[in-house]
Amino acid sequence: MLVSSRNRIFSLSLAAILLAVIPFLVFSARADGQPPPEQAGSTQIAEAAPAVESTAVQPPAVQGLTAADTPSDEGGSVTVEWTEPTNAVQLGLTYKVMRADGPEGQYVEVGQVPAGESEYVDAGLTDGKQYRYKVLSVVGPGVAESAPTLPAFPRGNWFRTFRLNALVLLIVFSGSVLFYIARARGGKPIYIRKIAGLSAVDEAVGRATEMGKKILYIPGIMSIDEIQTIASLAILGHVAKLSAQYNADLEVPNKDPLTFAAARETVREAYLEAGRPDLYREEMVNYVTYDQFAYTASVTGKMVREKPATNFLIGSFYAESLLLAETGQSVGAIQISGTAEVAQLPFFVVACDYTLIGEELYAASAYLSREPVLLGSIKGQDLTKLLLMLALGLGVILESFGLAYVKDAFRMQ
Amino acid sequence: MRKQVPLLLTFFAGIIPIIALFVPEKHVNTVSTTLDSWLIIVAGFALLLGVVNVIQMNTNKIRRKSSGWPYAIVLLAGLAIMGFFGFAGAFNAFGGIATRPDGSSTPFDWLYQNAFLPLQGTMFALLAFFMASASYRAFRARNVEATILLIAALIVMFGRIPFGEMVTKWWPLTTEWIMSKPNMAAQRGIMIGAGLGAASMALRVIVGIERSYLGLGKGE
Amino acid sequence: MNLERIMQVDRRIIYLFVAAGTILPIIFVIGLPVSITPPTQMAFDRIENLKQGDVVIVSFDYGPSSAPENAPMADAFLRHCFSKRIRVIVIALYPLGGLSEAVNELNKVVAEFPDLKYGVDYVNLGYKDGAQAAMRKMNENIHEVFPTDVQGTPISRIPMMKNVKTYADVKLCVSLATGIIGEWWANLVNAQFGLPVIVGPTAVSAPKYYAYLEAKQMAGLLGGLKGASEYERLVVDKYPGLAKVYATPGLYTATKGMDVQSIVHLIMIAFIVLGNVVYFTGRRKPRKAA
Repeated sequence: MLVSSRNRIFSLSLAAILLAVIPFLVFSARADGQPPPEQAGSTQIAEAAPAVESTAVQPPAVQGLTAADTPSDEGGSVTVEWTEPTNAVQLGLTYKVMRADGPEGQYVEVGQVPAGESEYVDAGLTDGKQYRYKVLSVVGPGVAESAPTLPAFPRGNWFRTFRLNALVLLIVFSGSVLFYIARARGGKPIYIRKIAGLSAVDEAVGRATEMGKKILYIPGIMSIDEIQTIASLAILGHVAKLSAQYNADLEVPNKDPLTFAAARETVREAYLEAGRPDLYREEMVNYVTYDQFAYTASVTGKMVREKPATNFLIGSFYAESLLLAETGQSVGAIQISGTAEVAQLPFFVVACDYTLIGEELYAASAYLSREPVLLGSIKGQDLTKLLLMLALGLGVILESFGLAYVKDAFRMQ
Repeated sequence: MRKQVPLLLTFFAGIIPIIALFVPEKHVNTVSTTLDSWLIIVAGFALLLGVVNVIQMNTNKIRRKSSGWPYAIVLLAGLAIMGFFGFAGAFNAFGGIATRPDGSSTPFDWLYQNAFLPLQGTMFALLAFFMASASYRAFRARNVEATILLIAALIVMFGRIPFGEMVTKWWPLTTEWIMSKPNMAAQRGIMIGAGLGAASMALRVIVGIERSYLGLGKGE
Repeated sequence: MNLERIMQVDRRIIYLFVAAGTILPIIFVIGLPVSITPPTQMAFDRIENLKQGDVVIVSFDYGPSSAPENAPMADAFLRHCFSKRIRVIVIALYPLGGLSEAVNELNKVVAEFPDLKYGVDYVNLGYKDGAQAAMRKMNENIHEVFPTDVQGTPISRIPMMKNVKTYADVKLCVSLATGIIGEWWANLVNAQFGLPVIVGPTAVSAPKYYAYLEAKQMAGLLGGLKGASEYERLVVDKYPGLAKVYATPGLYTATKGMDVQSIVHLIMIAFIVLGNVVYFTGRRKPRKAA
């Protein structure tokens, strides 16, 4: 972890405050799911209406009927709720939900709900229009009608209140990252621990130059909307700059066309920045094919024929990871791999000399460039991880006593 | 301008799905799902770019008679044949690109079933061999961690096959325990760490601090 | 030195043994017993507890390259659903070959249940691009995501789809996956919309899914070929009429595939143990002066 002792105190206090505040916010947000008092006439306590004449079992009417705009939705929906009579399930009641459109509309049936449930969500309505509801309890020929609700007006809401916990976590995370970025801009030096795979990049490129052989850089098989690919391109920029400086032979075969286009730009700019645009050739970055295994066949064939000195296998990989890594191992290349695909990590660990695991891949661009701003973001991310670890520990302890506060606070809906 | 426009586009493309997660408003969601569709369309055009590159590179190889140039002819021939039958099939010549209603294969489908699929299956099958050679080389009890890895691997591999249960009924139970407790805990740990790393990277990209994927260097 | 040679054994010797271990059990069928693990039992019970007429989505999220693992799972699920007269909506979200797999497997299994009617008991809605976007949109309106079925019939004219518009009308989704789409069913569709999900991933991805299973985001898990063979055994035990189908000579089933996997596992274990024995013996021997 990267935090000093003063920061540790700050972090722990922040954590304690958040852990006290988040459950409170979540539970009060849940309570706010009830219609706010100023909403026009949305609640009505229903009284038991006189039962319809019949010789069969007389079902009891429902009590406490309310109709209100469905919270946290995009509109057009009203939620009708009621309190069931205590013997509803034994009697085998069915509830028929009746709706009247507008102040003069007739009641028509819009849905049926079996006993045991006491809620009905009526969708497909028009925002701002008036709707009134009644619920009939039915068993056999016996019907009992509740008193109608006052008008309800569906409307779109601006916030999904059940995702408040996600928003708080997002704010905490972004806040800590941006805070440390700001501090880094102010010139404060930031320490990041050594990552073996990244320290070896220079040596790996140097090896290829000495042996006069190629560097093969494989940026994963997913497209540029996958964040691992973006991280891989950041590292590619660095590797390309080094190979320009050392005059090493670099090749970047691509499976995805968007990644191909982006990688070409990255390598071209890197050679320009290194001051060796004359060394850049268009064939360095090429497109192979979109099929996963055809791409693998092409790249492994290249490895066996041309015997590269260095392989970089960095990005998002799937089944072809072992095929690529093992072939590279068999031709004697030094291999630096990195992925956040948990299923493929074991294959890389077994067949490659260095492996960047998960977040080390994402930290790579900060690590290699040593830019203070990027390092600051790593520190902010570490702070959030520390808070999460504390929350996990607290949650485990509370759960052991049957208290589910932390678990409920982190529940995502 | 050259660097402002991509950064602005990245910002909006990144922030809109985040807003859509919290705000149920209709128009926000429409914009968010439309973005998803645009990605597919852009990728389609990029594929064209890739195909042009393949043709260029291989025709150069043939022209210069560089090493392996006969294979470049094979590659271009494959591209041309499948491409031709695929396009023709799209306009319903030869009966389309799938099997015909009477069960016979269109040329595209025949090539797919009898050339493409067996080749794909062959590549995937190589994994079995590579896994054997990789595990033989790597599972040596060199130090404490490697020994724990070795023992866990042997337990799980043996427990997954009927012989494990034949030896003792505890073997498959131990296997399940390893898979569902320590393995799952480690996977979760890596997933959480990687998730935070990805979120941090995404934040940097959206805010415009991380620009290397655009080919922009330091200080640009 | 003899031991040194064994340590550095040419990998092609290993490949030879693996090749023998792969080919011979297919020719000389052994028929090893299959034991059931809890994740598969959970998946089976979940479907077993559904009622006739319930609607289930079966999503083909794999391609031909992992068909040997995923296709037996698909067949077993379809046979189970059809035996219980559960109505099945087949879709495909995997771009390279998902649709052809869906068509092939569905047609194969449906031929074994001649009294089922297309459009009433099952339907194939075909392939949709942009998996995540499609999965999200299906929560609002399945008819918009799949306006026609795979043959081009408008969805409004398909009898069983009349009352099936969103995830609320579906009891369960079974995803047969290679790669990330299976994960999206668990951490996107189940987490955000609450639809119960069973995933049948390839064995290499299966360890990842235990996290979702333990967190109750999945209702069951079929881990690779072993999971498929376990499900086949459960289905045949419960519905003995299917035993005839599975005994068809020449038919590839997960149980037959497991024979191969078991033998290859044994070969790999033998090599690993041999490698370690040689490694330790080599370390114990006093080093001779060069």
